[in-house]
Amino acid sequence: MSFDVLFNQFMSGIARGALLFLVASGLSLTFGVLRVLNFAHGSLYMLGAFLSYSVWTFLLMPTFGFYIAALLVAVIMGVVGLIIEFGLLRRLYSRGWPEQLLATYAIILIITDLVKWGWGGAFLSIPRPEPFTGAVFLFDFPFPSYNFFIILLGVGLVIFLWWLVYRTRLGDIIRAAAHDREMVSALGIPIPWLFTAVFVLGAAIAGLSGAVTAPFGSVALGMDIEIIIECFAVVVIGGMGSLPGTLLGSFIVGQVYAFGIMFLPNLALAFIFLVMAVVLIIRPWGIFGRPER
Amino acid sequence: MTMEANRTKENEGWTKRKWWIIVLILLFLAAPAVLNEFYLTVLCEALVMGMLAISFNLLFGYMGQMSFGQAAFYGLGGYTVAMLMVKWQFNFWLSIVAGVLVAAIAGLIVGYFCVRLRGIYFAVLTLAFGQLIWTVVFKWHDFTGGDDGIQGVFPPDFLKAPSSYYYLILIVFLISSWVIWKIVHSPFGHTIQAMRENSERTEFLGINIARYQLMAFVIAAALAGLAGAVWVPFYRSVAPSYLTWIKSGEPVMAAILGGPSVFLGPVLGTFVMTFFHAWVLGFTVYWPVVMGALILFIIFFLPGGILGFAIDTIKERRDKEKHPGKGMNHVS
Repeated sequence: MSFDVLFNQFMSGIARGALLFLVASGLSLTFGVLRVLNFAHGSLYMLGAFLSYSVWTFLLMPTFGFYIAALLVAVIMGVVGLIIEFGLLRRLYSRGWPEQLLATYAIILIITDLVKWGWGGAFLSIPRPEPFTGAVFLFDFPFPSYNFFIILLGVGLVIFLWWLVYRTRLGDIIRAAAHDREMVSALGIPIPWLFTAVFVLGAAIAGLSGAVTAPFGSVALGMDIEIIIECFAVVVIGGMGSLPGTLLGSFIVGQVYAFGIMFLPNLALAFIFLVMAVVLIIRPWGIFGRPER
Repeated sequence: MTMEANRTKENEGWTKRKWWIIVLILLFLAAPAVLNEFYLTVLCEALVMGMLAISFNLLFGYMGQMSFGQAAFYGLGGYTVAMLMVKWQFNFWLSIVAGVLVAAIAGLIVGYFCVRLRGIYFAVLTLAFGQLIWTVVFKWHDFTGGDDGIQGVFPPDFLKAPSSYYYLILIVFLISSWVIWKIVHSPFGHTIQAMRENSERTEFLGINIARYQLMAFVIAAALAGLAGAVWVPFYRSVAPSYLTWIKSGEPVMAAILGGPSVFLGPVLGTFVMTFFHAWVLGFTVYWPVVMGALILFIIFFLPGGILGFAIDTIKERRDKEKHPGKGMNHVS
C-alpha cells in the first residue's frame, strides 16, 4: 500500500473526525454541565439536517442559500432545545438519571415520528455549496473539497469552544458548575439558566452539524442513531464531559473508521468498538475523563 | 434518587398471600378458550416480552444497572433458532437450547466489558454493543439474510396451532420467572441488591462486584435469548429489527411503567404496553410518538410505576390507619 493511498485515507478520517466532533462536542458539553446524557442529541442533529433541506428549498438561493439555511437551522434548533430543556428536562434534574435518560429516549421516539410525518421516508440531499463543489487532488487522488469545509468548521468549533470555556466568564461558570454545582449556586449564579443556556448551545451545534451533513447526501431516517452510537464511542474513548477528550476521541474514531473501512467495509464499526474495549479495560472513564465517584 | 429510594424489598403482604398467583395461572390456562386468535397472539407476545422485561429488571430493579441492549440477546436467541432450523434443519428443542446458549455466550463477552461501568456509562455501553450486534446481523447478508431476515421457521406439528404454542410459551414463562424469582431471593440475589444500594460497602465486604454483575448479566442475557428463541417459531420469522435499540427500549419502558421495585411490575408494564400497542395500531402507524408521550406521562405523573405507585399508596393508607395522626414520612 503506497503512501498516497494511506494519506488519502488519513484525510478522509480527519474529515469524518471533524464531523464527529461537531456532533459529539454538544453531547459532551451538555453532559459535562448538566450531568444529563442526552440520548436525543442525534435526533436533534437529524432534525437539523431535514430542516436545512426545507429551508434551503424555501430560500432558492444558489450561492449563499446553503450557508444561510445552516445558520437559520442552528437558530431554530436552539429554540427547539429551549423548549425541550424548559418544558421537560428542567423538571427532571431532581430525579434519578434513569428517568432523565428515559425522557431523552422518549424525545427520540417523538422526533423520529415527527420527521417521518413531516418529510416521509425519503433520502434527501443538498448540492454542495460554492466554493466547495469540486475536488482537490492530494497526490493524484481526488478529495472532495467539501471535506475541507467540514474540517475548517470543526477547527472553528474547537477554537470557539475553547475560547468560550477557558477564556470567558460564562466559561468560568460552566467549568465551576461541572465541578460543583451547589457551590456555584451558593455564589448567586442562577444554575437553571446556566443549564438552559448550555442545552440550547448544544442543540444549536447539533442542528448546525446536521445542516452541514446534508451535502453528503445522507439525510434520511436512521442517521440519528448512526451518529449517536459513534458519538458515544467518541465520548467513552475520550472521556465524557471533557472537551479535549472529545477532540481526541473524534480523531481516533475518525481514523479507525477510515482505515477500518479499507479492510472490512461493512464492519468498520467493529474496529471502533475494539478500540473502545481497549480503552475501557485500561481507563474505564476514558482518556481525559475523571473517575466516577 | 427517588427511584433508588423507592425500590423497596418485596412487600411482605404480597408474597405471603399466594392464592392470587393460582387464580392468575388458572386465568391464563383458560385464555385460549376465551380469546380470539388475534388477542391470543397479542397475549403470546406479551408473555414473551414479559420474559424480556424480567430479564431487564433483574439488572435494573435488582442490581441497579440499566441495560439498553437487551434486545440484542433477544434477537440472537431468535436468529440462532431460525438459522439452525431453516438452514440446517435442526431439531426444534435443540435449537431453542442453542439459542439460549448463544445469547448467554454473547452476554458473557459483552458483559465482561460492561460490568466495569456504572450508571449512565453502563447504559451507553450496553446500547453501543447492542447496536454493534445489530450491525453485524444487518450487514452480514450472506450469513443472516441481512435486511430480509429469515422466514419459514416452523415449530413441530403438534405446536403449530396458536393455542398449543400458547401453552408452550406460558410454561416457559412460568418456569423462567419462577427461576428468576428464586435467584432474586437467593444469597446471590441479595448480594446484587446490596450492590444496588451501596456498591462500595458491598465491595468492602469482600465481594467481587464485577464477577457478581457479570453472572447476573449472563443470566439476564440467557433469559432474553430464551424469550427470542421461543418467539421466533411462533411468529415464523425473524428480522434485524428484533435487535435494534428501539426494541431494547421496550423492556426499559415496561419496567418503569409497571414498577421496577416489584417482581411482576415489569410484566404488568409489558401487558399494558403490548395490548395498548395492539389497540393503537388499529388507527395509527405512529406508534413511537404514542410510546414517547406515554413514557413522559409515566415519568411525570406515575413515579415508581403502576405497581410501585399502588403499593406505596396502599402502604401509606395502612400506616395512617395504624397510626392515625402520623404523617407519611415513614421509613420502610
